[in-house]
Amino acid sequence: MTASAPDKSTILLIDDSIDMHRLLSVRLRGDHLEIIGADNGLDGIGMARTRSPDLILLDVDMPEMDGFEVLQTLRDDAATHEIPVIFLAGMTTTEDKVRAFEMGAMDFVSKPPDFAELKARVRSALRISFLMKMLAQKARLDGLTGLGNRAYIDERLNEEFAQSTRHNRSLSLIMSDLDNFKSVNDTYGHPHGDAVLIKFASLLAEGCREGDIACRYGGEEFAVILPETERDDAAEVAERVRASLEAVEWLVHPERRITASFGVASLSCVEAPSIERLVAAADSALYAAKRKGRNRVILAKPEGRRFSLSA
Amino acid sequence: MNHDQPGGTPLLSEFADDPEMVELVELFVAEMPMKVTSLRKAFDEHSLTDLTRLAHQLKGAAAGYGFPTIGEVASELEGAAKATEDVNRLRTQVDELVELCNRASMAA
Repeated sequence: MTASAPDKSTILLIDDSIDMHRLLSVRLRGDHLEIIGADNGLDGIGMARTRSPDLILLDVDMPEMDGFEVLQTLRDDAATHEIPVIFLAGMTTTEDKVRAFEMGAMDFVSKPPDFAELKARVRSALRISFLMKMLAQKARLDGLTGLGNRAYIDERLNEEFAQSTRHNRSLSLIMSDLDNFKSVNDTYGHPHGDAVLIKFASLLAEGCREGDIACRYGGEEFAVILPETERDDAAEVAERVRASLEAVEWLVHPERRITASFGVASLSCVEAPSIERLVAAADSALYAAKRKGRNRVILAKPEGRRFSLSA
Repeated sequence: MNHDQPGGTPLLSEFADDPEMVELVELFVAEMPMKVTSLRKAFDEHSLTDLTRLAHQLKGAAAGYGFPTIGEVASELEGAAKATEDVNRLRTQVDELVELCNRASMAA
């Protein structure tokens, strides 16, 4: 989940003029830009989906499907809706420009373009788009541990829950909490507390299998989302992490062992599955682990049918 | 008088000395006779649709190859083809554009 500057950017030109394709490929050549092209809207949309370009240059005035229709289709598709688009247009009114920006175009360049200016605008659009991606990632990243943060968990839980209901697959969740963490902080100071959090985060990430998603839920609480995983398999992951934390020989303050408690639940444990119920089930298993003496993994029991007593 | 024969002062591309553009400009110049033929044919067939399309293409492309005057005249022809069916006016515009296209050249 790290953002790094792209070493090569792909630009998709959607334009029915062969001259634009020729001129652009020469004028934007080099500078780590790869130019791909489509001469009509439909092919352009197809290429945007399959090639995921970093930027689209879109001609407004095309036969059949015009630039506005293409832009609308790109915006409506989750696979393409974040790709920045620069409109290329000949005779344009202010109304056209406003409409393009309202539909989400990043920039507007008149045709015939001044290629030096177009190149500068392409660079600027790529830079803005890169920073936006980086910001979006940072907003989902925990600064201390480098794991996903609470916002990231919520987002991924939503996605994975939708996937598992759609394909009728299982989904498990581990909730974990460092034992007596407050006293670690109070006794040894926050620098040591931070070191413990960082170490635990890395053990959690190491203990995960490919596809598992480890996050910092907040404070000393962590979560792992395990797609396509039954409860008992998730419990194995939790147990592996529990044992590895217990075994850590701390260089500073080796007299104090650090442990954590774990609650494990899966969708098959809850009636009328929902994200809230899955989280609640994992949470109550975690509290059970705390009550039973900490440093252990507790599995959520499948819920039976219940009735409520009306007041 | 035959407008389709190259003649007059060569019209030089602004990018004649730009190494990265040489090949493209040569290609554009080489394709000129074909474009002139298409323009003449569209005019002879009274096809406003074809005239508009051809003028539109030239308008968008010519400046990119270093021939802004061709682009300007093409833009005027496009406007005329959209706005009028006046044969004389269209003929004047087509003649002017063809004359420029025929003069387009890579080197003096």
